Amino acid sequence: MKEERGSWYLLTGLLIGIVLGLLYAWVVSPIQYVNTAPHTLRTDAKDVYRQTIALAYQSTGDLARAQARLNLLGDEDSALTLAEQAQRQRATAGDSDEVQALADLAAILGQAPVLVVTSPVPVDTQIPSETPTLTLFPTVTNTPTLEFTPTGTPIITPTATLTPTLGPSSTVTRTPLASATPEPTRTPLPSLTPTPTLAPPFVLDKQVQVCNPNLTEPQIQVFINNAAGIGVPGVEVILTWAGGQESFFTGLKLDVDIGYADYVMEPGVVYTLQVSGGGQIIPDLSIPECEDDNAQRYPGSWRLIFKHP
Amino acid sequence: MSRWLRFLIVIIIGIGLGLLYGWVVDPVDYVDTTPASLNVDYRADYVLMVAEIYGVNRDAEAAVIRLTYLGDPSPVDSVQNALAFAVDAGYGANDLRLLRDLADALAPLSPPGQDSVP
Repeated sequence: MKEERGSWYLLTGLLIGIVLGLLYAWVVSPIQYVNTAPHTLRTDAKDVYRQTIALAYQSTGDLARAQARLNLLGDEDSALTLAEQAQRQRATAGDSDEVQALADLAAILGQAPVLVVTSPVPVDTQIPSETPTLTLFPTVTNTPTLEFTPTGTPIITPTATLTPTLGPSSTVTRTPLASATPEPTRTPLPSLTPTPTLAPPFVLDKQVQVCNPNLTEPQIQVFINNAAGIGVPGVEVILTWAGGQESFFTGLKLDVDIGYADYVMEPGVVYTLQVSGGGQIIPDLSIPECEDDNAQRYPGSWRLIFKHP
Repeated sequence: MSRWLRFLIVIIIGIGLGLLYGWVVDPVDYVDTTPASLNVDYRADYVLMVAEIYGVNRDAEAAVIRLTYLGDPSPVDSVQNALAFAVDAGYGANDLRLLRDLADALAPLSPPGQDSVP
């Protein structure tokens, strides 16, 4: 009798076990997202977080702190991401101050990366451990962190409690952007904080008429470079003309250059261009005429290359 | 070994396999979370950012709007929780001052009987 039943009951038991495991994981104790880090946020929530970072930077001028905060978001290129967000918000008629804050921070990060070297910046180490003892500061570990130990169901829902080793007298600090200096007062001294002074306004280096019959539309092509000749993203370029004004940002066409932006000109309109921040004014930009090999005329473009003096 | 014992053992093995898969092979990826789920230190730092902005523009209304991002029952709670954390964690004096300024500014929004500043 036993021989006829075979071993199917073992498979049945295995399936029951798996079902019980899933029932526990999905129904009895479903995942609750707690104690997460900024890099896990939804895109829209990241945008708000990034916006707040930019505004806080605008208020304090603390570039090291802003960069440390941006690192928490896990963006591959913070300057570019800021510039893209500025452009998006600009396109959706976002608050101009907020757009400017994003653009300013993008610009300063894009042109002065060396500044942040002198300041403490957290190092990413990432990902919450799946072991029962986890350190819940997954993205920040150069700052001494509070250790948390889960008190509830292990692993998936780590209800954190402070370990008793940390107190007001502790010599460690823990904010995501805390100074590496192990002292209770960790606000960077003003003398140590790199002053995010913008370099002098960009000046026109070259203005070239572009005659390229492959260009389908007449453009104003703008390249913004730093003193080393490297493109700078997130720089606002302002165009004005009779009865109108428009602005756009560099850094959104990486296939051309990180410091590149362009604008399609309308026939019969004369534009005046200025790089934001008091840059040189370039007047009288209108569609130039070009001539191909067959003496056929077609609309050309302008290429303007700016750099720091 | 009885059939029931073996049956029980494979059930346990099944559970173990399920957990192994869920925790090791394909562990949970934390993505698309909400600000409400942020760890307390990040929440405190966010409030500090709001306090830094408020410290310059003195716009309490805008600060309240920004604090709603955290999903707390009230912005006052957000600031008080952040301030409590900041004190425990040894934030710098200037940061504490900014947080206290913000807490003071939002104090009128506190429910009656609630301490506004720790």
